[in-house]
Amino acid sequence: MSGGEKFDVIVVGGGPSGISTGYFLAKKGFDVVVLERGEDIGTKNMFGGRIYSHVFDNYFPGWRSEAPIERWDEREKFTVLCKEDSISITFNKESSSEHSSFTAFLSKFLKWMANYAESSGALILPGVKVDRILFDENGGVIGVEAGGDRLESDYVVIGEGVNTVLLEAMGLKSRPSPDDVAVGVKEVIKLSRNVINQRFGLEDGEGIAEFLIGSPVNKFYGGGFLYTMDEYVTIGAVVKLRHIYDAELNIMDLAELLRTHKYIYGLLREGTLVEYSAHLVGENVSKLYSGKPYGDGYLIVGDAAGTLINTGFTIRGVDYAVESGRLASIAIEKSHSDGDRSEKHLSYYKRLLDASIIGRSVKKFSRVSSLLSNPRIHHQYVDLTCELFSQIYSVGEESPSLREAFNMAKRGRVGLLRMLLDLINVWRSL
Amino acid sequence: MDILSVEKRLSLVRFRIHEKPHIVIDVSKCEECDYKVCVKACPAGLFSIDDEGRLHFNYEGCFECGTCRIVCPNEAISWEYPPGGFGVSLGFG
Repeated sequence: MSGGEKFDVIVVGGGPSGISTGYFLAKKGFDVVVLERGEDIGTKNMFGGRIYSHVFDNYFPGWRSEAPIERWDEREKFTVLCKEDSISITFNKESSSEHSSFTAFLSKFLKWMANYAESSGALILPGVKVDRILFDENGGVIGVEAGGDRLESDYVVIGEGVNTVLLEAMGLKSRPSPDDVAVGVKEVIKLSRNVINQRFGLEDGEGIAEFLIGSPVNKFYGGGFLYTMDEYVTIGAVVKLRHIYDAELNIMDLAELLRTHKYIYGLLREGTLVEYSAHLVGENVSKLYSGKPYGDGYLIVGDAAGTLINTGFTIRGVDYAVESGRLASIAIEKSHSDGDRSEKHLSYYKRLLDASIIGRSVKKFSRVSSLLSNPRIHHQYVDLTCELFSQIYSVGEESPSLREAFNMAKRGRVGLLRMLLDLINVWRSL
Repeated sequence: MDILSVEKRLSLVRFRIHEKPHIVIDVSKCEECDYKVCVKACPAGLFSIDDEGRLHFNYEGCFECGTCRIVCPNEAISWEYPPGGFGVSLGFG
């Protein structure tokens, strides 16, 4: 045995949930180390671009003036991408002065979170990959092995992300199926602040969050996104892995086809691509969350515990991951003070999760994933909408009435009864 | 309109490549695979099929997303994260 130092808690993974766990435990006086395999904090992390602020407002005093916030989301836009045309609806949040979400780069945001946690006493070590979790003869966790070294601790918290390679190797989780997870691809495009403000109708510090369906992401029944940063725009798409098998496109081409769609291309012209990346995203919320995120001496937090929720309109990733880290710290504090680190005692963490905003959201939004997989939403209804608008606004000698335009657009695409049933399904899923 | 190749896009990203591949493919399991869905699914385009139908893979340029290991229907992919400090290193994320 090398080393000899023993920690109260070892956290595996320096993403949102892991750093959060380290921060909240350090604040409670625990001797905690966060091990991150990336060469620096944030280098393995990727997301669309938006973070909801409630958890930071509640528990990170002073964060609004310190954190690397790009823009506060003032506008929400929904756009249907036709082959060349597009149709958008924008919601302008003028009535509420309180901001609830902002855009950020996750790599930069996590570096800030890590600094914040360190000033509360957490030790954060990048460049260290945990190879296995160590158990005693009774099956209780006693520490981890990393790069040939053994590190001992009373508790291990695993926040390794949605791609649960370590948990699977340790037999603590089964591999997700292609129905459970999606792949997200993303591009970061550099533009000047003024150009972004002009093209999107924004003031300095104000941002827009856009949700896209249609061409080309409908080839995979997926959805797209666009977020404005201070001097960058991020665009990307999320595609359930199951939908890749029969698609006629390669995932590697998807982000570029999206970027060069006429609508996006116009918004981003003269921009420079500065980063392309990809990451898995949880999709089948109820299945990914249903596992047991605790055992003798260990807890699982964040995406590895299925805390990411896709509500259909918004994805709650970072904020729920941070919240799960906070709940883990509460469960560990209680377990420690009761002197009982058994699985039975730590099941308290699961009860905390279930009663939290995370557990409540899982229940509420469990059917969204299957709803968004309905191929008619991505093809027939997109085509119908595009054709309808094209008919209404293709004014020649005589304008078509709305009914005429609808009937022309609908022809041969989908029956009225089918549409009615889909509408009922949408209603029941939301 | 100008579509940037995946090679060009990967050249924008920092990869600290370890000499030992973190992903190893048992290509004998790929010979009878009709799907070869890994080729379509890899966002970095690291899988390819040659003229004789054989599968090739290069681990350099891997985002470590895990897509390939989940879509593979034959469990032909043994997949680990690269050692600490190695692999993809994103600046924006």
